[in-house]
Amino acid sequence: MKFRCEREAFERALGLAGRAVSGRGGALPVLSGVHLVLEGDTLRLTGSDLDLTISVELTVAGEQDGVAVLPAKLAADIVRAVADGKVEMTVDSEEAHLSAGRSEFSLRVIPADEFPQLPEPSADAVKIDATEFKDALRQVTPAASADDSRPILTGVLMAAEDDGLRLVATDSYRLSVRDLPGSTVLASDQSVLVPSRSLNELARVLGDDDDLTLRLGEHDATFEVGAVRVTTRLIEGDFPNYRGLIPSSQPNKLTVNREALLDAVRRVRLLAQESTPLRLIMKDGVLELVAVTQDVGQAQEAVDASFDGAELTVAFNPEYLLNGIEVTGGEEITLETVDELKPALLRRVGSDDYLYLLMPVRVS
Amino acid sequence: MRLLIARCTVDYDGRLTAHLPSAVRLIMVKADGCVAIHADGGAYKPLNWMNAPNRLIEHDDHWTVTNPKGEQLTITIEEVLSDLSEEMGVDPGLQKDGVEAHLQELLAANPESIGEGLRLVRREYPTDIGPVDLLCRDADGGAVAVEVKRRGEIDGVEQLTRYLDFLNRDPTLRPVRGVFVAQEIKPQAKVLATDRDIGWVVVDYNELRGIESNELRLF
Repeated sequence: MKFRCEREAFERALGLAGRAVSGRGGALPVLSGVHLVLEGDTLRLTGSDLDLTISVELTVAGEQDGVAVLPAKLAADIVRAVADGKVEMTVDSEEAHLSAGRSEFSLRVIPADEFPQLPEPSADAVKIDATEFKDALRQVTPAASADDSRPILTGVLMAAEDDGLRLVATDSYRLSVRDLPGSTVLASDQSVLVPSRSLNELARVLGDDDDLTLRLGEHDATFEVGAVRVTTRLIEGDFPNYRGLIPSSQPNKLTVNREALLDAVRRVRLLAQESTPLRLIMKDGVLELVAVTQDVGQAQEAVDASFDGAELTVAFNPEYLLNGIEVTGGEEITLETVDELKPALLRRVGSDDYLYLLMPVRVS
Repeated sequence: MRLLIARCTVDYDGRLTAHLPSAVRLIMVKADGCVAIHADGGAYKPLNWMNAPNRLIEHDDHWTVTNPKGEQLTITIEEVLSDLSEEMGVDPGLQKDGVEAHLQELLAANPESIGEGLRLVRREYPTDIGPVDLLCRDADGGAVAVEVKRRGEIDGVEQLTRYLDFLNRDPTLRPVRGVFVAQEIKPQAKVLATDRDIGWVVVDYNELRGIESNELRLF
């Protein structure tokens, strides 16, 4: 294999493919490497941990076709470190030689025939509005669980809903639901559970004006964005019945300016340390935020708000509350509650496309 | 326990022959008959050793240690620098980490938290290579060996694999399936367990203790 390319483009491609490379190779040491295939002037770089595969196509000046597996981290470090401009790479059966400017590197390659055969994406492709989908991922993926002991909750449910697509994630403390009306990506009643980690990687490469294509297989999903292809294994199992969790009506409704609340929460939570919650005291015309950490101190702030209901104090995990306010968007938001122990519902005023359901924290 | 510090040479004759040239070494003779020869370095591994049962014969200038397989260690003593004997009594054994032992106790009291329909047969069920933490029966009467760890790593899966190997030789138990239980399980351990058809369950220690979290959940 022999090719030349621009350092910056090669660095980006190695970095992208390297994000799917497993840390220490796990069961297959070859997976600690990035797989390179050169055909003509097209270089395809692939990293995979078998659950997530990221593949990037790069146009290079190819001189000799070939296949190689480079140690991912070392190769990325080298390409990041060398001088800007042209990079030339030659790979034989044992070593890769990289030259850039006056730098020369030789590094041992990993036997390419050990790299596993990865599943080919399904032929059935559907287009997705990249801007909307990226926005939906930003809103929904943070609510997915990071706890591997409940794998179902580490995924984002993508389900056909009425005339569109619905994304849902929950870690059992909060639930995030986003509707994309008119996005007919899935067949009627079809749903898949996609690992949130894979969707986060997709969101990193997704630009607003990109074309996004989804290819759904039986056990995997492939998202194509320009020259980047993200393939993820789907999570098998039944997602919790989340519909029953969403209350149909709540007697208390607080309406508040989102930015004002966001700023106040950011300030007051500085004194909500060591897992102490942040209290929201809802009264007519005002919302008071209070945080008290024993032996450290306390903070409080009032925010103008309109409140319809009986005076109520509800405590929340400050990070979860902050995240909900951040991703809900809009100028004004509503916080609907039943009492201090029932889930609270965050929505944007004037929009039904998104909801964030948050469980309070019990306080004495 | 007898501790002899002596300038000696050592010859082993068994599966192979080995010779330790003259030097000052610690010769450890344990009450059960184990003999180990240590240099003044390294954490725990002796230069040479013979596991009990052994027959130790002390001659004037050399000792011979012979085991039932016919392997023999000959220690030729040139100079004795120190010879100390101490009655150490019966060792109480390795105490498990407090949380781990308590976790095992809690799971024994509530085996259904490991799997639906699971009933406890015995805690610390003996095998030839050590006791398995819990032996249970599932709803269908099948034997289930449970290994409990605070942190579930590959070593724990290996340990359970060895227990299963021995337990499955017992016609009154087999087939015995394994379940690896811990407060947290490393991804590699999960992969290895799954590969060996061993189940794994992550349990919440506080929940088992009945300590109520102040975090409310949606479900």
